[in-house]
Parts: sequence; C-alpha cells; structure tokens
Amino acid sequence: MAILLPCLSAGLVCAMEASHAAGRVQVRMTSPRSTPPPEEDRERVDAQLLMRVAGGDRDAFTEIYGRFSGPLYGTALRILQDAAEAQDVVHDGFLAIWNKASTYETSRGTAFSWALTMVRNRAIDRLRMRRRRQELLAEAPTTDTEHLSTDAGPSGGDVAANQDEAQAVRAAVASLPMEQQRALELAFFSGLTQEQIATKLREPLGTVKARIRRGLIKLRSTLTRP
Amino acid sequence: MIDERQEELATLYALDLIEGEERSAFEQELSADARLQRLVVELRDSASSLARLAVVRPPDSLRARILADLDQSAPQTGQSEDRSRPNAALSRFRAFVPWAMAAGLAVVAAWQAQRLATLSGELQLARTESELANLSRRSVQNQLEAERIVLLRETADLGGKLAAADGELVALTRRMKEEGALANLKITALASMLNNTPQAHAVAVWDPNRQEGVLTVEKLPALMPSQDYQLWVVDPQYPNPVDGGVFTVDPQSGEARMTFKAKQRVGAVNAFAVTLERKGGVPKAEGPFVLLGK
Repeated sequence: MAILLPCLSAGLVCAMEASHAAGRVQVRMTSPRSTPPPEEDRERVDAQLLMRVAGGDRDAFTEIYGRFSGPLYGTALRILQDAAEAQDVVHDGFLAIWNKASTYETSRGTAFSWALTMVRNRAIDRLRMRRRRQELLAEAPTTDTEHLSTDAGPSGGDVAANQDEAQAVRAAVASLPMEQQRALELAFFSGLTQEQIATKLREPLGTVKARIRRGLIKLRSTLTRP
Repeated sequence: MIDERQEELATLYALDLIEGEERSAFEQELSADARLQRLVVELRDSASSLARLAVVRPPDSLRARILADLDQSAPQTGQSEDRSRPNAALSRFRAFVPWAMAAGLAVVAAWQAQRLATLSGELQLARTESELANLSRRSVQNQLEAERIVLLRETADLGGKLAAADGELVALTRRMKEEGALANLKITALASMLNNTPQAHAVAVWDPNRQEGVLTVEKLPALMPSQDYQLWVVDPQYPNPVDGGVFTVDPQSGEARMTFKAKQRVGAVNAFAVTLERKGGVPKAEGPFVLLGK
C-alpha cells in the first residue's frame, strides 16, 4: 500500500510515498505523472458521479469513495492526529455524502470541495470537543501523528490522479512565501481559531489575517491559471 | 467592486475561520452580492485543494464499513428517483413487497438498535462532560470565594493601615508644627568665662512666643551659701540686660537645669550671660561673668 505524506509546514513542499510491506516502512520520492488529466474534466466527472449518488447509485458512490477517500481521510487524520477518530469522521462524512448528495449544487463549488466540507467540519468539531475535554481534565494532547495502514486502499489509478493534483497544488503552495504557507496550513489543518493561530505564530491578529488572505488569493490565482 | 475587507472576510469564511455575529453579518452581505459569492466559492475550492497535500489511504475496513452502512441509509432523493422508473420494474418490485418489508423491518430494527447504542454512548459522554463542567464550575466558584475572602481580609488590613497612616500623618503634622515652633527658638551655647573652670558650659533655649526658656548648665563651680548664679538676657532694646532669675548648681557635678522667664518682655535675644551674684540676685548685673553666649 502507499501513503502520501505532506511536507508543507517545513516549507519544503514535497510528497513522499510510503509503502508498508512485510512490516517495514519504505519511503521514496514520487515523480509527477507525465500526462495529468485536465482539472476541468476531473471536476466535471466528480460532479456527475455525485449526481448519480444522489440517485442512489452505489457504483457511483464507490467510485467517489475511491477518488475522494485519500485526501479526505488524510485531512481528517492531519486534523485529528488519531487514526480511529479520523476513520469515524470519514465514515460519518461519506454517509452524509450518500444522504445529502442531492443538495449539492455545482454553483457552490466543486464536488470535492463540498465533500471535503462534510469531513473537515466534522473533524474540526470533534477536535474542538476533544480540546474542551482535555482542558477540563488537563490532559496532554494525543500525539498519534503517523498512521500506516496495512489495508488495501483506493485503486492505483485514483492514487495516481491524486498525485497529479497534489503535484499542481504543491507547486502552487511552493510559490507562496514561507509565512503565508505556515498561516494557510494552520488555518486549514489545525482547527484553531484566528486568535489561536495568531497566538501560535506570535504575530498580531491583523498580520495573520493578511497572510491567510494573501496566501489563499495567490493560491487561487495560481491554481485557476489556464 | 470587492474591497480588501470583503476579500479578507471571504478568505476567512472560506476557511471557516469566522464565527458568531461576524459570520452572520458577512453571510447577510454575501447573500446580496453575487460577485462576493463567486469569490467565496473560488476561495473555498482553492482551500480544498490543500487536502490534496494530505493524502493518506484509509484502511479497506473503513470502506467495507461505510458500504455496509449504506444499506441502512438511503439517499434523500433516492426515493424520488426510484419513483420515476418504468411501471414494469415497479411491478416486479411489488412482487417482493412482503419480503422487502420484512427485510426492511429487520434492517430498521438493527439500525435502531445501533442508533440506540450510539445515542446511549453519546448521552453518557454528554453526562460525563456535564459532570466535569460542573466540577470545574464548582472549583472555580470555590476559588472565587477564597479569593473574595482574601480580598476582604486584605481590604480590612488596608483599612487598618490607612487609619494608622492617618494617625501617623496627624502626629507628623503635629511634630512638624512643633518643629516649626522649634525653628523659632533661640538656642545659644554659653562658654566659660572663668580661667579656673574652662570646661564649664551651658545651653540656653529661648521661646519668644512663650517668653520663657530653659537653661542647662554643667561643671560650674559650687557656690558659697551666700551666692547665686544669675542669668541675664541681652536684648538690644534695653540699656541693661534683662534679669532671667537666679539658680544654684549641684555642688558635686556643677549641673543645674531651670526654666526661666525674663522680668521684661524680650523682643530679640543678642546673648545670654550668667554672673556670680549675692544670694537672691540683683536688679542689674554686678558680679563677674561666669558664662557668656551669643
């Protein structure tokens, strides 16, 4: 099996493919595919699949799962730092996708973005609930940061497609200044509030907001450039 | 035209980083601005792309679990889609209605049982959290009460200290006044005029307000029984020194201390003098000077 591990925070925008075989972890650098599918085609296919899911099409759902589960599970895992909790969140998120697919409107963004919202919001809610509990009990936060599964995952084609897209995103993120990368990373993956991000970065709130804004605007500009 | 403030709010909104009133206000603004809506969509899609950097393959067991649960969870619009199918298919379906109903009931029962277990767990968790919150609240209340008591004590202590400070201030003021009065006193050291007892000396302190003074002498020679020492106050307004009274000294130590009053009102003191006179004193100095100080 293979896992893509992001290296965004260190400013070293890279991805490593870790394979778990015979109880040993091997890490190797991946290379971009030579002919990535057009982004628009991918988004269009995602939207069509979601419409089929809305009609109760299990095959479409299985395909959506194959396309989305890697980044959705990775995001939940990155936010929660706990494999079991991340799996619970992805489970609930995909059931929500199955149940609410009919509410998706293409005018409100891509199908992937819509599906990600289902999982990310649940992960952040769970993270904040956990933090409240930990505050009450004065416990140390969990540090289960690395999860390597031995189970089979999405098909090789889905992984490759994810790699293609990841390559483009990595390039876009790499073009941002370090401080904007860091601010965006915390804004997206940490589940912290604006104020907590500012505290963590030891910067004024206004500075942090500006970094997030400039970073995301630049990212949008780069990713949507023809 | 989207300004910088709107752009910033749109960014934070796309990342779910604004809450409460700020979020409500922005959503209101958003509902009336198509361009802003488009920007939010684009920013949210761009933010979502960050998830492509966090790809981790989930275990197959998760996929199996999700697919198994799909059977108990039909899409919201799936039924309406099914209703639009041809009648033949519907007829075939009706043949299996009793079996389907039985299976459905079994599924629903299983789902309800699982749901009940989940809800029980959540209820227990909520209770635990509530108890913890209550414990925390009581702890905070106790702490606040303790702090209140400490503050009351500190307030009382401060009140006492303030009263003491007031007393000290009053005493200090009085002393200052006294010291102010002291500043008006005329203090003069009188040196010996006698060759045989050069160590004799005296200090005269004169209070012009009270028109009285204190004279302290040391090491003056002992007197004959027919003699007295007589003090004189030299005031320039009078041609002769003003009589300050007579005194004797301890024959052993030569010491004496007396309070004296001038026989005439003294305006300014130029000097004090002590003479040796006959017993009882004289109106005008006649004997030798024993001590003199200016």
